[in-house]
Amino acid sequence: MNQPGFGQKPPARTVPMDGGGGTSGSPLAAVAAISAGVVLLGALLFSIRSAVKSAGERLATPDTEKAAVAIADEAQAPYCTPQFMQVLDRVLHSCGLMEGSSRRGCKPADVKTFASISDSDFNALFTPLKARGGVILFDNGMDALDDGAKKLIEDKWSDRKGARYFLVVARASKSGSADKNQALSHRRANSVLFHIKEFSNEPDVDQKVGLLWLGSEFAQLDPKEFCEWPNSRDGTKCDDDAINRSAFASWVDCRL
Amino acid sequence: MTRVSGLAALIASLLGLLFASYSTFDYAKHLDRRLHDIHCSIIPGAPPTDSADACRAAMYSPYSALFKESYWGGIPISLFAVGAFTFFAAFAVYLLVAGPRAPRKAIGFFGIIGLTPALASLVMLTISITKLGTFCLVCVGIYISSFVLAGSAIAGATVLFAGRIPGMTVSGPFEPPRTHGASRSDVGWLLPPAWLVALGVFAFTPALVYASAMPDHRPYLGNCGTLKQTQEPANALLHLATPRSTQAAILFEDPLCPTCKAFHERLVAEDVMDKLDAQLSLFPLDSDCNWMLTEPLHPGACIVARAVICGGSQARQVLDWAYANQDDLTKAGKAGAAQLRSAIEQKWGAQTLRCMDAKSTELTLNRHLHFAADNNIPVSTPQMYLGAKRFCDEDTDLGLRYTLAQLAPEVLR
Repeated sequence: MNQPGFGQKPPARTVPMDGGGGTSGSPLAAVAAISAGVVLLGALLFSIRSAVKSAGERLATPDTEKAAVAIADEAQAPYCTPQFMQVLDRVLHSCGLMEGSSRRGCKPADVKTFASISDSDFNALFTPLKARGGVILFDNGMDALDDGAKKLIEDKWSDRKGARYFLVVARASKSGSADKNQALSHRRANSVLFHIKEFSNEPDVDQKVGLLWLGSEFAQLDPKEFCEWPNSRDGTKCDDDAINRSAFASWVDCRL
Repeated sequence: MTRVSGLAALIASLLGLLFASYSTFDYAKHLDRRLHDIHCSIIPGAPPTDSADACRAAMYSPYSALFKESYWGGIPISLFAVGAFTFFAAFAVYLLVAGPRAPRKAIGFFGIIGLTPALASLVMLTISITKLGTFCLVCVGIYISSFVLAGSAIAGATVLFAGRIPGMTVSGPFEPPRTHGASRSDVGWLLPPAWLVALGVFAFTPALVYASAMPDHRPYLGNCGTLKQTQEPANALLHLATPRSTQAAILFEDPLCPTCKAFHERLVAEDVMDKLDAQLSLFPLDSDCNWMLTEPLHPGACIVARAVICGGSQARQVLDWAYANQDDLTKAGKAGAAQLRSAIEQKWGAQTLRCMDAKSTELTLNRHLHFAADNNIPVSTPQMYLGAKRFCDEDTDLGLRYTLAQLAPEVLR
């Protein structure tokens, strides 16, 4: 090889003048490069188009492998047995709560008619609510709430969790006439409702609270069992009269 | 240009092409609006994986594609890399085969244009560092390929200076030393612009083919359900509206949910969050307060949710803080309530803790959860509703901007 060194004039270069755009150097190199580029690009374009089209086909096909997702809903506790649900459903529908009607609550005759249930069976339905609810006790012939009653209502109301409905079942002791006791238990139920409205300041209390007033005619509470339940007058005497001068209040964790 | 630098340029181009193809095909797979494993390794040939957070974050970021409002997912920028690396591979073949007969202008052209992938990589690397805070390994593969390509282009171009620098010799492995590249043959002045045009054709054709093959996503948008009620009866939801808010929206979020964090950050990055007249319904996936779960998915989420409620007018700041410190808060949540409360107290003070313990706060959170129950929404987070219409989960990442352009174009203005 004859290589020019420093100080020597380099040999004259030959630039092919093929219209100013010649492919000097190596035609073979140009062919190899163009072939490689075209083949590579062609293959890529085909693959890209196939990938996009394939995604489009999958898009139009429902995803059968999609995992089922739970749906948000109210709580459904184990005590929501079919019988309990049936009674609750009848109470809530017939007492105007579900439909948002102006009528609020049920009286004993209503419960007897639509619940078709005996006194003891009716009370037994509420047994699972012993820990969830509380018994608000009243003075004889009175419907006013004392401080203990107010606190118990507030505690129970604020412990809503996933429940949809708050049931208030008011009663009166057997002293006095049936009519008077029915009216008294109605007022006691209302006292609970009014206090909830007052302290909670929530606009939708009416859509949550179901009232039953049973007077002294239906489903009287047995002191042996129900005096053991949480009540608003801990430490005071609890007998047959005291436990029935009451309103039982509890959230009910059942879906309807 | 030596054969070594030509070979290095070819290998770098092919590696860049491989990594850009991984990125492109992973992107294209997601056009079906489903989740897929993606490549996220710097090792060529490594299989796709479902644990590819950094690569997924890059893919879902606003910087991964162009024309996102016109096409679902947009046109991935990796397509341009695919075309460009193909061109550079072909050009490297030319220089490699031509060897010592490679024209001066070809070497010079390659020496200059071969730097462009490295410049683009520098831009993307800066975005990765400053905006994303993570490194997508497939992207790193592209960066390295680009830098090697640039290095080989520069090394190859040094042949043009040979002979002008005293003592400098340049040669290929199979040719004897030469001291002046000036003796090389050359081509006319029209070829470099033609090569530039060819580079443009290579770079843009994949994008054109991709766009022309794209399915129409419009029929699938917004068909994911509606809310029965958009107002919580006691107005208990948190209002996150700003002076720029234009579109009514309801967000169901869990402050300790990583997907919520990612979605929230995407909304912020796309400058959409501030344009939502948003009501936030907290939906912690924690059985401590959420009866819809039997065990906590995100332990401590109920506590953090109460802190967000206690933020009041600063609820958005508390939420942002919870997302920014989600890893630490999640660890604290798993360690126990005391540690989590301590972290909250340290940032937001004892007053916030007292508020969190208040019955009214518990009731407010309970109302948030009942709002979800009353609407029978799916038990999952995040969820966004524009008005009453649900924004499909499938459109909350790649298709976010396109779907917003279709359903709520005002938030993109």
